Amino acid sequence: MTQRRTRSELGVGALLLILGVALSTAVPDYRAQEWALWVIYGLLALSFTFVWGHAGIFSFGQAAFFGIGGYAYGITGIDLSGRTNETLTALVAAACVAAIVAAALGYFIFYGNVGDVYVAIITLAVTLVLLTVMSSTADPKYHVGAAALGGYNGLVGVPPLMLPGADGPVLLGSNALLAGCVILAVAVAVLLSILRRRPFGRIVAGVRENELRTSLLGYDVRRYKLASFVIGGAVAGLAGGLYAAWGLFINPAVFGLQQAALVAIWVLVGGRDSILGAFVGVAFVQGLSSTLGGSGGSATPIVLGAVLIAVVLVLPRGMVPSATALLRRFLAPPRSSPEPATAAAPDALRPEMPTRANTMAPQSIEAVDLHKTFGGVQALRGASLSLPAQSVHCLIGPNGAGKSTCFNLLAGRYGPTKGRVRMGTTDITRLRPDQRARLGMGIKLQVPSFYATLTAYENVWLAGYVRHRDARAAGERAHAVLAWLGLTARAGEDAGSLSHGEHQWLEIGMVVAGEPVVVLLDEPTAGMGREETLRTVDLIRALAVDATVVVVEHDMEFVRVLDAPVTMFHEGRVFASGSISELRADEQVLDIYLGRTSTADVAG
Amino acid sequence: MHGDQLVNFAASLLTSVALLVVISLGLAVIFGMMGVINLAHGEFLMLGAFFTLSGVRAGLNVWLAMIAAALAVGLVGLAVERLLIQFLYGRLAATMLATWGLSLILVQVVVLAYGPATQGIPTPLGAVRVGRYSLSEYNLVLIGAALLLLAVVFLVFTRTRYGTMARAATQLPDMAGAVGINARRVNMLTFGFGAALAGAGGALLAPVAGVVPSMGQAYVGRAFMTVVVGGPGVLTGTATAAGLLGSVDSLVSNVFSSFLGTASLLLVAIVLLRLLPTGISGRWRRQL
Repeated sequence: MTQRRTRSELGVGALLLILGVALSTAVPDYRAQEWALWVIYGLLALSFTFVWGHAGIFSFGQAAFFGIGGYAYGITGIDLSGRTNETLTALVAAACVAAIVAAALGYFIFYGNVGDVYVAIITLAVTLVLLTVMSSTADPKYHVGAAALGGYNGLVGVPPLMLPGADGPVLLGSNALLAGCVILAVAVAVLLSILRRRPFGRIVAGVRENELRTSLLGYDVRRYKLASFVIGGAVAGLAGGLYAAWGLFINPAVFGLQQAALVAIWVLVGGRDSILGAFVGVAFVQGLSSTLGGSGGSATPIVLGAVLIAVVLVLPRGMVPSATALLRRFLAPPRSSPEPATAAAPDALRPEMPTRANTMAPQSIEAVDLHKTFGGVQALRGASLSLPAQSVHCLIGPNGAGKSTCFNLLAGRYGPTKGRVRMGTTDITRLRPDQRARLGMGIKLQVPSFYATLTAYENVWLAGYVRHRDARAAGERAHAVLAWLGLTARAGEDAGSLSHGEHQWLEIGMVVAGEPVVVLLDEPTAGMGREETLRTVDLIRALAVDATVVVVEHDMEFVRVLDAPVTMFHEGRVFASGSISELRADEQVLDIYLGRTSTADVAG
Repeated sequence: MHGDQLVNFAASLLTSVALLVVISLGLAVIFGMMGVINLAHGEFLMLGAFFTLSGVRAGLNVWLAMIAAALAVGLVGLAVERLLIQFLYGRLAATMLATWGLSLILVQVVVLAYGPATQGIPTPLGAVRVGRYSLSEYNLVLIGAALLLLAVVFLVFTRTRYGTMARAATQLPDMAGAVGINARRVNMLTFGFGAALAGAGGALLAPVAGVVPSMGQAYVGRAFMTVVVGGPGVLTGTATAAGLLGSVDSLVSNVFSSFLGTASLLLVAIVLLRLLPTGISGRWRRQL
């Protein structure tokens, strides 16, 4: 499937390329000049489409990387083109320098784990501070080689795009420059669109949709965000280099609010998840402002601002996606009514649960003297657990007893104030959730956590890919798991459109697809009927054949049927352990559950 | 170091800090209390400066003109909240883009009304001599004004009915709604209050900066850095972040150049965020 789509993409790309190049040579000179700028802006918009639309990072840094690319091209071009007789090196330098700056900035942002809001503000602040910094370089002492930075006026004497030729450099005229920009833009667009469906692209989409889930599946979210940010930076830098080559100058205005605003306006107008949208947005907005510029140029920013506000309020998805949706509604034949949703639980006719294919050994789980304090609340005050490999274990206790805190410490969602967690002989106390997942931990949270806008297949695929790092093997496993869940017919639908029960099973399928050796389930039967609850019991027993399963549960009926060793929490400590029938015979346990106060103090 | 050098040095350092406080406080209130990122903040500063300019040209005393300008920008803020922001609560990117659109519009409207040229009003007061140096008295006013604005924010949020409700609505919005706090009204007032503070910041800049429609851009980057480094504590966070970043800027600018001063402010801010991702005040228990 992927291959066929890649081929069609290459086809569309080649078509656009031929059309674009043919058009480039046919249009008059002044038109070619204007369109080249649009294509360059389109490339800049595309970088933002990738960073925001695909990776979900709302960054104002694209304008900064654009400007940095422009300056890098200008400086390298001025200093080197005399010797090398070409400026392609300078163009490469533009992309590389921008990528390096993006990597440095991205490291601090993503590895510092700053929130989404802060990413936006920091990238904006960096861009604007660059404006201030670059504007204050008027003094001739600020220069790189022969290139004086020039303060507000910027770099002058930037060389045009030159190709190496047998006898001296080949300078590109307006039409050839436009053709060159088209070639680069189509190449980048095709590459990005292929990348979006590669495993990397899928994982990045997962990060965008649900960071927590992606991290619990075993992906280092920070790395993927950084990588996307760097790719976006490189593309923006390339566009900046072309811009400097187009205008033969670059000045600090590229770091200004207006330039940064334009990037967002283009993408917003065109549609944030459409590659084509980037170019449509540029053509629409730039076309509009050049039309207006003819009559009342001073009103242009007002119109742009108004367009921006209008799009935000009225057309939040952008032009291209809205238009495609509209077209589909008119053109597509009315769909036959969807098949009635089948019962979600796997029934006896369906295949067996896919078994674990990796060679990892089941591991025991051990917690030693765990303490966790939230502000002034001591949620855990010294809980110790030792759960042997290949067993099922239940954690129970009334609300606030500390069982969920204990679960989250085992899962690595936060670190303990004091104490240790071991998986087999490995100390995992300080490991992040994704590191634990790669060691073989599979986690299902209490609240639903999946990728609503990815297909059911992609959801399970992402869970499977982490183990073997092989797209084909992950695909096979995903199909096997979906067949087992009885969701094969709905594999291509967005997971968000499944029913509540199907969501539960999808999440369990994601755990199974990850081939875990340790499984942590937080209230797996929440919201399930009796029938499904019983199936969950079977499932947990099947998992325990070659994995260690820890279940946090409220439902005493479920715990009784499961008939596994039980640890009961009370006031942040382990209060009692044993079989469920032993615990049911214990007066104090009953007191705690029924809230009889007379003997509750005994617990302290 | 001689005594006069020391005094001069301290004054320039405090002026840098005070400048950051006055340009950031309005942004910090709107962001900290409402979670709204106001990209038109720079333009609110700019409006404050232009309104002061108009007031002075109309013959108003410069201090009265500043107060009037702050109040006028506050009214603009109220209008903006009613016409635009209130439809976008909870939509982070949309708020940013819409306020951005607003900022483009405001700049252009001011260009149309006042022209694109740089204007200015004379710096009030004179200078005092300390040993070999002369200190601008206005810089001392700036330091005093920063303290005054911080005090105003503190008093408004702790001593008024509105302030208590605003803090309640920030901490537990659902609970605040349940006990009958009208979040719409509180948000409107907070946005207006933040805008007025930004207006006051711009008014204070008017005598020392070039008053030009694009002036917002020159300050808004540093204002955002200060707010991000400060973290959720509107008052304490902004004050400490301004103190830290202002000192760095001033020190490096004095020793090397103002180019490196601004660059080092940026670097320090980014490195700090790696260490304290939720800002300086992120881990403090008492948050105002």
